[in-house]
Amino acid sequence: MKNSFLFGVIIIALAASSLISLALGRYEIDLSTLTQLLLWKALNIGTAPHDVTLLSNIVFDIRLPRILAVVLVGAALSVSGGAFQAMFVNPLVSPGILGVLAGASFGAALGIMISKNWLGVQLLAFSFGFVAVLVALGVAKIYGRNGSQTILLVLGGVISSSLFSALLSVVKFVADPYNKLPTIVYWLMGSFSSVDMKMVASVALPLLVSTVVLSLMGKYLNVLSLGDEDAKALGVRVAWVRNSAILLATLLSTLTVVVAGMIGWVGLIIPHIARFLVGADNRVLLPMCALLGATFLIIVDTLCRTSMSIEIPIGIATSLIGIPIFVFALRNAKKGFA
Amino acid sequence: MSFYSAQNLHFSYDNTPILQGINITIEEGSIVSLLGANGTGKSTLMKLFLGLLSPKSGEVILKGKPLQSYSMKERALQVSYVPQSTQVAFAFCALDIVVMGRIAFESWFQKPNQKDRDLARAAMERLGIVHLEKRTFQTLSGGEKQLVLIARSLAQGAKILVMDEPVSGLDYGNQLRLLETIMTLSNEGYTFLKSTHFPEHALMLGGYTYALKEGQVLAHGMTHQTITEELINELYHTTIRLKQTTCGYPVCIPSFVHTKY
Repeated sequence: MKNSFLFGVIIIALAASSLISLALGRYEIDLSTLTQLLLWKALNIGTAPHDVTLLSNIVFDIRLPRILAVVLVGAALSVSGGAFQAMFVNPLVSPGILGVLAGASFGAALGIMISKNWLGVQLLAFSFGFVAVLVALGVAKIYGRNGSQTILLVLGGVISSSLFSALLSVVKFVADPYNKLPTIVYWLMGSFSSVDMKMVASVALPLLVSTVVLSLMGKYLNVLSLGDEDAKALGVRVAWVRNSAILLATLLSTLTVVVAGMIGWVGLIIPHIARFLVGADNRVLLPMCALLGATFLIIVDTLCRTSMSIEIPIGIATSLIGIPIFVFALRNAKKGFA
Repeated sequence: MSFYSAQNLHFSYDNTPILQGINITIEEGSIVSLLGANGTGKSTLMKLFLGLLSPKSGEVILKGKPLQSYSMKERALQVSYVPQSTQVAFAFCALDIVVMGRIAFESWFQKPNQKDRDLARAAMERLGIVHLEKRTFQTLSGGEKQLVLIARSLAQGAKILVMDEPVSGLDYGNQLRLLETIMTLSNEGYTFLKSTHFPEHALMLGGYTYALKEGQVLAHGMTHQTITEELINELYHTTIRLKQTTCGYPVCIPSFVHTKY
């Protein structure tokens, strides 16, 4: 009962912030004109507003793809963060735990250096995100026959992250400092400014499917968060569940890097806030993470593109906003991150 | 046909032999206590009985079939595990934890239904902890946590409970209450395989005892015949005396006490 009320509130908040975000920008549209335009375009109700071509261009070609991308990325980062936290039985884990963000960053930087087009950059970012996770899993596998899988995976992730951070430094060092290096640095700060409808369309399906499937796996993630032996004794095929969850969560976080570069802290703090609201049950928690993450990122992205005359890279903003929220969330640390 | 048994089990971690030819027979409805000093392989043996580890050679037989031939699910319907302590990093309430015992009955993506929740609540009621259902697991005391984990096993529907040091970390009163719970459940037909650090607890529960030393069974049989002064002193390098009491239950008296008199 309490949960359905909370879900209702967050859905309304998400819709409202998306609508406001559509209206705000360099060219401000007042809400009544926006509603008139939306009703006319989508449902064929009422009349077209003045300047309909200009307005359509701004709303549907420029702002809408960006807002859709923000919603998808915010949801994806938060759900993968929540899933990683459950399967590593550790509330301090973020989506980068297995090196996926470091790997994808290296891939993107390499792409910017050697490739002529953005598709190459995206493919390299995506591939190296997965390569980094495979490195982490491989390191864990070498010593993984006995002992705790979880701790080995975390160590594998640390090693993989360090490796790809080092490789990223190599790329930065050898990249052309006038053309390529600024692009790499700016890209690593995260931004939605280069998003278009084509990109949104190509990542939307995998992002949505992974988010939904991970949420449906909630009860298995619940049991995994009791520890491997408990879960096995309860009759759950732990390795299978964990590998599927890792695959989906990795897909989610790699795609966010492909769309918008590095956006830190969202995957760490949103699950905390969601857990504070609806409790630890992943069947409820992960959908809540998705909605909350989308709403949070919409608000931050709108601030980034409207508060100053230049656009603030969103990765910087999420870090600056995320850190105080996280400090506040630590208050609950002793109570088991209720 | 044996109910639940280990036949010539061998196990080693990286060439360090842990268990060397263990034979154990467990009868339905009995309580079997494993005794032995730290590091003698009690926990390993229980993990083999649970199918969490696979033996180097030999096998565990459950109801006439090798344990290895059961799927994870099938096994979970027969045997459940009550761990020493479960670290739960997230704030699940006690009922959530008990309902998780039903996961083997649910298909993929199926939600725990009202029946699962009723069975979980019935299990809690049976152990007298239904008032704890809304409490966060971490905030429970050690004794309450153990009872919640036992309730999870009951909800799981398995009639065999494997318990690793069930009383460790509990205060004296909770230790006795937990032993009483084990006794009651055993009378209702549940089978127990449990390790213990306290020979006295094995004596209180009766049943059968297997004493392990250096990966082998040093002695086994009916608890009251198996646990002798000599056995305890050999297992733990002590010099206790076992004194019979008037109610027929022997107690251990350590040397620093009995040498005074």
